[in-house]
Amino acid sequence: MESLYIPATASSPEIRFDFDRHALSMRGESYPENAAAFYGPLIAQLRAYLEGCRNDSVTMDIALAYFNSSSTKMLFNIFEALNGAARAGNTVVVNWFHDEEDDTILEFGQELSDDFTSIRFVDQPVKSA
Amino acid sequence: MSTPPLIHEYSAFFRIAHERRVIFYYVGYFSQNIVAAMAEAVKLQLEVSGVGSLTRRKLFSSFIEMAQNIIHYSADALTPGNQDTHELRHGSVCVSEKDGEYVLLCANPVRTAVADDLRRVLEPLRSMTLEEIKRAFRESLRAETPAGSKGAGLGFLTVARDAREPLEFDFQPLEHRPDTAVFYLKAAI
Repeated sequence: MESLYIPATASSPEIRFDFDRHALSMRGESYPENAAAFYGPLIAQLRAYLEGCRNDSVTMDIALAYFNSSSTKMLFNIFEALNGAARAGNTVVVNWFHDEEDDTILEFGQELSDDFTSIRFVDQPVKSA
Repeated sequence: MSTPPLIHEYSAFFRIAHERRVIFYYVGYFSQNIVAAMAEAVKLQLEVSGVGSLTRRKLFSSFIEMAQNIIHYSADALTPGNQDTHELRHGSVCVSEKDGEYVLLCANPVRTAVADDLRRVLEPLRSMTLEEIKRAFRESLRAETPAGSKGAGLGFLTVARDAREPLEFDFQPLEHRPDTAVFYLKAAI
C-alpha cells in the first residue's frame, strides 16, 4: 500500500504513514481549522491499511507538542482503529511522546491506554527543552 | 514644546493597555492563518514575559480554543455560513496579567438564539469541580459530536479545565441589531 506523507504546517502535524514497513508517525502541533477535514481522509486510509494487516507488528509514534480539543476527538478515533487491529491479532505499539512536564498530554495518553487495552501503550516522556 | 496631537492620541491608548497590563490584543477578522500567526506571537510573548511553562501551556491552549471559536461561530462572517474551511469571522481576544495571574478575554457577535444555547452550555460549567469537568470531557469525547458543532463539543470544557476560576460570560445586546448580541468570555488562568 502506498505510503502517506503530509508535511507539517504551523497548525497541523507531519503525518508519515509508511504502510509497507508498518511504521506510522504523527509529529508537531495539531490545531487545524477543521480537524475532521484534516484527519478524516487519513483515518480512512489508516483503517483501510489496518483491515489488510494479518499478524503484523504495527508501530505508531505520536509526538504532538500540542493538540486542540477537536484534534483530541480525532486521536480518540485513531486509537479506536488501532485497537481494533490489535484485537484482530496484530501487535500494535503506540509510543506516546510528550514533554515530561506536560500533565495534560500525559493524562490524555493514559486515558486512551485505559480505554484501548489491546494496544501496547508506551509512555515516552521527553525532557523539557 | 507642545505634544503633537498624533502622539497624544496614540499614547492614551498605550497608557490604558499598560495600566491593564495587556500582553496581547487583537481585534479584527480571524482566519486559520491569522490564528496560527497570533499563536506564534502569543507563545513568544509569554516566553519573553517569563511565564512558567505550565501556565504558558494552559494560556496557549485556551487562546487557541477561543480564537478558533471566533473563526467557527462569530455572527460577523465574510465567508458564507455553509462554508466550513477557510472561514473569516470577526472578533477580539485579549491576554492580560494582574498580580501574577493571567486573564484571557474574547468577544464576538452571536445571534440571539445562539446566545441561549451558549448560556445553556456554559452556566452548568461554572458550578462544576475540576473532577466533574474532566469527567464531562471524557463523556463528550466518547459521545457523538453535537449538532451544529464544528469541533467536538469539547472546546469550553478544555478552557474550563485549565482555568483557575469558573468561566465568566456575558451578552451585550446591540441596539442597532436586535437579533444579535456580543458574547464575552473570560478565563482566569
